[in-house]
Amino acid sequence: MGTQDQLQTDAATDTRLGDPWVTIVWNDPVNLMTYVTRVFQEYFGLPRPEAEARMREVHEQGRSVLSAGSREKMEVDVQAMHGFGLWATLQRSGE
Amino acid sequence: MRGFAARDGEAVAGLDEDERLVIARIVADVGLLLGGEAFGVDERERRPQREDLAEALRFLDGIGDALVEPDDPALLRLLPNASPTDREVAEEFRRLTQEDLRATKLERLRRLWEDLSAEGDDWVVPADQVMATAAALTDVRLVVASRLGLDSDEDAEALHRDIAAASVTLKHASAAETGIDPERLWLGMLYDALTWLQESLVSLTLGGTE
Repeated sequence: MGTQDQLQTDAATDTRLGDPWVTIVWNDPVNLMTYVTRVFQEYFGLPRPEAEARMREVHEQGRSVLSAGSREKMEVDVQAMHGFGLWATLQRSGE
Repeated sequence: MRGFAARDGEAVAGLDEDERLVIARIVADVGLLLGGEAFGVDERERRPQREDLAEALRFLDGIGDALVEPDDPALLRLLPNASPTDREVAEEFRRLTQEDLRATKLERLRRLWEDLSAEGDDWVVPADQVMATAAALTDVRLVVASRLGLDSDEDAEALHRDIAAASVTLKHASAAETGIDPERLWLGMLYDALTWLQESLVSLTLGGTE
């Protein structure tokens, strides 16, 4: 149980806060780990260890929830991820 | 080819003329795939002719219709489906964002193309352009990967095994004699070179948040 496990637990908790919509980033064979980490740092303002933990979650679990909020806000986040060439989707929380 | 290194607060890579030409060409192809104007055509030539005008106004036919998902898998990778399970969400997203997204990507690709088309072997990326350049390189890699059929991590590993095997056998035989599809080999090597360049660029913390 290291820092990464702790952060993943926190990430799982985030999705239960009752926010109506979530942004999910999916694994793909093209995007580089260093690049994905950096996108998470720059766009979501995550500190590097957390950005790395989310990147590993995407890589190992196939997906990670990166943000939660209104549908409009999630559309903005998903558009930004597509702008960086990451595959992201939005859906109602808990679906 | 020399990967990116930090120099006076900028990222600088070294590519000879042939290398720059090959990469600039694929960058321009991705621009065309996104429906952009051909890069490198000057403003006078770009002034619309009658038939171009008809083409340019064709979008008017589609007003009121929902934008449809691209058929080409490479283009779909650049402008992905934002909600595979909910068509209404996906269509709304495409209607709201696709033109912005296309314009952003085209602008970054055009800038990348201009950088590669400049004189001299140094490819200089200012700190504030690192992420835009990395994003444009990602789009090019996504298209090349789609053409190579790289849909999974296993596909990517298989490609690397093929390239490694080919680089050994090519010392003793021609591409035809090795039985390796030369186009797959060529595209695969281009993909690897782009990956390597992007990795070297992004690994520099230049222009980053820390």
